[in-house]
Amino acid sequence: MRKRRRASGVDAEQTGIDLAPMLDFVTNLLIFFIITAVFVKEAGLEVNRPTSFEQPQEEDSKGIQIQILENGEIWVDNRSVDVRAVRANVERMSAVNPDAGVLILAQEKAPTGTLVEVVDQVHLGGIQNITFSTTQ
Amino acid sequence: MQSRRHAPETEETGIDLAPMLDFTTNLLIFFIITTSFIKEAGTVVTKPTAETAFGRETGNLMIAIRENGDIWMDRRRVDLRDVRPMMERLHIERPDDTVVIIADKASDAGVVAEVMDEVRLSGIQIMSIAADPAS
Repeated sequence: MRKRRRASGVDAEQTGIDLAPMLDFVTNLLIFFIITAVFVKEAGLEVNRPTSFEQPQEEDSKGIQIQILENGEIWVDNRSVDVRAVRANVERMSAVNPDAGVLILAQEKAPTGTLVEVVDQVHLGGIQNITFSTTQ
Repeated sequence: MQSRRHAPETEETGIDLAPMLDFTTNLLIFFIITTSFIKEAGTVVTKPTAETAFGRETGNLMIAIRENGDIWMDRRRVDLRDVRPMMERLHIERPDDTVVIIADKASDAGVVAEVMDEVRLSGIQIMSIAADPAS
């Protein structure tokens, strides 16, 4: 009696699904995904580019114009200003005309670092609508 | 008698794989979900810093512009004229993609402008210029 019961017990244990091959497979998939996973997140600033047909309108609009020269000099209102002064200038001009956008005119050889600094300062000055254009 | 008592014990000492399998499957699902289709630029540039830089969740196509004006995307150097067809192909595959332009501090603004134009002509409207958030 006891013997028979034991035999049936062994049978029941053997009918369970063998998980080992599935585990092997899942682990392989896991390793593959861990290896190929890329965790890159770039922070950035958004600027607009003028489309060719709206460029002339931008030029003579009442927006604020900031020029960046090849050597990194920044010109606002026909005056050469420091990067740190851009924010104050933008704040002053946006107080006069709150809807104004900013047009950044960079010379082609102007360094991108200066451009990003100016965009940052304009953002800090409270204007998000920035258009970026280049000149010869 | 003794052997009979031993037999069931050895069968019960086998490790139960089920919890491990649960755990592994969860990890697997996590990694599958977080696998985004990021196209890395494949080169290292010195990024400018900006206080107002913010991260966009979907910025996943990266174009790097090096100091000397070289354009890198998808881990290889490309010509300016190749940017548009490559972007058009990627835009058709995944229309939600946005572009991050990683320009070197000392690179020319003209090259950045040209790359932005090419990207926009390919149909991707949302793009940003990468900057390190200043601490």
